[in-house]
Amino acid sequence: MYELSVGGLIALLFGLASYYGLGEMGIFSQINLALGGLALLAAMASGFRRLGSVGGPHSRPVIARGLALIAAAIALGVLAERMADRSDIHFDLTFEHAFEVSPAVRDTLAALPVPAEALLFADGADRRIRRTRLLLEALAANGNLNVRVVDLYEHPELAERYELEPDAAASNTVVLVLNNDWEIVRRPTEGSIYEALYRLQHLESGRLIVLRGDGEGDIESVLDDGYSGFVTALITEGYEVESRVSAAMDEVPEDTRAVIVIAPRRRLLDHTLAALSAYLERGGKLVVFLEPGVESGLGELLEPWGISSPNELIVDPASAPMGKHRAEGLDILAYGYESHHIVTRRLGVNQVTLFPGARPLLLRKPRVEDRLQRMVVSSARSWRTDDLGWLDRRGRPEDPTQPRDHQTLVATGLYQRDGKETRIVAFGDADVASNRYLRAVYNLDLVLNAVHWATEQTPLISLRPKVLRTTIQFPLPLENSIQAFNGVGMLLPELLLIGGAIVWLRRRAA
Amino acid sequence: MALVRKDLASLFGAPTAYLALTMIALVTALIFFDHLRQYNLMLFLVTTNTMGGFDFGTIPETINLWDRVFSPVMDSLGLMLVGAIPLITMRVFAEERVRGTDELLITTHLTPTRIVLAKFTVTYAFVALMMAVSFVYPMAAIEQGGVGIEHLAAVFMGLLLLAWGVASIGLVCSAFTSSQLVAAVSGWAVAFVLWDFSWANAFVSDEIARFLEALALYPRFAAFSEGIVSLANLVYFAALALVALSLARFSFDLRRVGA
Repeated sequence: MYELSVGGLIALLFGLASYYGLGEMGIFSQINLALGGLALLAAMASGFRRLGSVGGPHSRPVIARGLALIAAAIALGVLAERMADRSDIHFDLTFEHAFEVSPAVRDTLAALPVPAEALLFADGADRRIRRTRLLLEALAANGNLNVRVVDLYEHPELAERYELEPDAAASNTVVLVLNNDWEIVRRPTEGSIYEALYRLQHLESGRLIVLRGDGEGDIESVLDDGYSGFVTALITEGYEVESRVSAAMDEVPEDTRAVIVIAPRRRLLDHTLAALSAYLERGGKLVVFLEPGVESGLGELLEPWGISSPNELIVDPASAPMGKHRAEGLDILAYGYESHHIVTRRLGVNQVTLFPGARPLLLRKPRVEDRLQRMVVSSARSWRTDDLGWLDRRGRPEDPTQPRDHQTLVATGLYQRDGKETRIVAFGDADVASNRYLRAVYNLDLVLNAVHWATEQTPLISLRPKVLRTTIQFPLPLENSIQAFNGVGMLLPELLLIGGAIVWLRRRAA
Repeated sequence: MALVRKDLASLFGAPTAYLALTMIALVTALIFFDHLRQYNLMLFLVTTNTMGGFDFGTIPETINLWDRVFSPVMDSLGLMLVGAIPLITMRVFAEERVRGTDELLITTHLTPTRIVLAKFTVTYAFVALMMAVSFVYPMAAIEQGGVGIEHLAAVFMGLLLLAWGVASIGLVCSAFTSSQLVAAVSGWAVAFVLWDFSWANAFVSDEIARFLEALALYPRFAAFSEGIVSLANLVYFAALALVALSLARFSFDLRRVGA
């Protein structure tokens, strides 16, 4: 029996070693695994036969008790493990909590009409697969998602079906399939998978008009100061985005869900402002991004709606150090949110938003029934300065003579006029939505949720998972690793060996 | 406790334990610093070729500290455990059998359960020390690299549980034989078979593949390695230890009835 079991185990050992060595199940591996398995089965049968014939009546209860204990241990172990598995209790100890599913993803998965399939294309040697698979399984645990790992080389036809080259470059690519449609995610993170799921649903959130032609933020520019990321995010969330020359706009079309104006550098023409004003009067929705130092006429447009913005700068000690070329206190890290507003109720002190160079907003209700709200404010230690020169020079703006207080960075207005509802969202800064800062901290959530509020798509308001993954891509301080190995790496083994030698010498002497 | 103390004294009274610790520390250091050297070299080559410096987006996603250094080192360490631990556990029961000292133990007031528990405790303690020694370099370097301490704790916990799992297998193999060689070889074989069942995926149905994966050591360890501590994985390793204890105890029953 022992010979059979040892022989069988050795055969299994060599069969697996060959499999792992070659990376495929060759004839040697197959024969060894088959023979090893058979030998072990035979050894087990022989062992049980031997147990049955052991000793007399005194031995059998001992053996039976021992076997019962083993069976009980196995049963207890399996039961406990299955129960623990069902409970799905786990702790995500990664730095960025990469495996904690955000509410937005849970909602999106729950809203899928049928379960989606996630195909993870894998090259066996790619270490990223393990992490991506765990992420997909964490998402699948919320339901409506089936995960399948596909070997790129065993199923090249499947890769080609989804327009992927079956080579190592396609490894760690996820294809999300819903009905007959699919989306390819090349850098799978919770955020990118969320966006792909969103696109697969083909939601129709309505048409947005973004103005251009008077120095507004460029929605086609992929540069840092462009706004292509903002528009891409809007399209992902189901909006149809149309760019219109402001000078040519005499009237806002009826089917427009909202108009977005991103910090015009020049004054808008009077007829454009009149068209926007008329649009608001008939229950329009407007999202405006203002910038300090520019008088575009938007102030005049917003004034009748109770929102004004003096041409000043907010200075806040609670600001981010954005480089030596910037004056201190201008790049505001905001953490003061209106907790009763649907847009900001999920944002707290740990969900900061970044406003690089913002102008203040002042609110005054035009009518009692109007609802004007400060949505995001700077810290209580902030103040306003009319010296806009600080935008271009370094240093620390002088302390104010007037008392410090919260300054409004983002405000919303809700108005009932002739049975129609007008909504306005005003940002005191446009950089908050620029490519450079949109994905920073919680800017994307704030900006998109504000647009959703303006367009009355409140179910879409959520906190989104982060698209980017924190990776360490710089050399470690151990610059010369060979030197470090010779210096530090050898020290511990040396000390242990000295310890062993002393013990051995003492034993010899004794 | 007396038996635990005696076994600990016997273990650290012999130079073998120190040699094992030295070897583990040395091999881990070699593997770790070699991966680190290759990573730094690759990073400099890429940044030199692209002239993009270390800005985000200029370096391919696959070249990062976690995937190029830490993760492969931990996987190598896991496999190394399968190779090294049966060499440590092979003598625990088998040596006592050869010397006949196990019969002496049985004749004392100690029950087989207590004897087995003491042996397991001493082996687990030694393996924990071994893991601590092998974890020093990766931990120091990754901490400097900015990875959270919680994630490192999860990885260490995974390695430790894996090591205890392999030790449990090795101890059972040692308990059923008087030959240290047979104990070591069977310990290797069982641990290696249980390591991962992905090789069987091509031959079995999805349900059986899932069942086999639930049995395997590596997927459990992999979850810890990625920073996830799940109750199911903790229970899996506890259950493995429990089954190993009951099997090792059964070997004493067999000795008592002369099987």
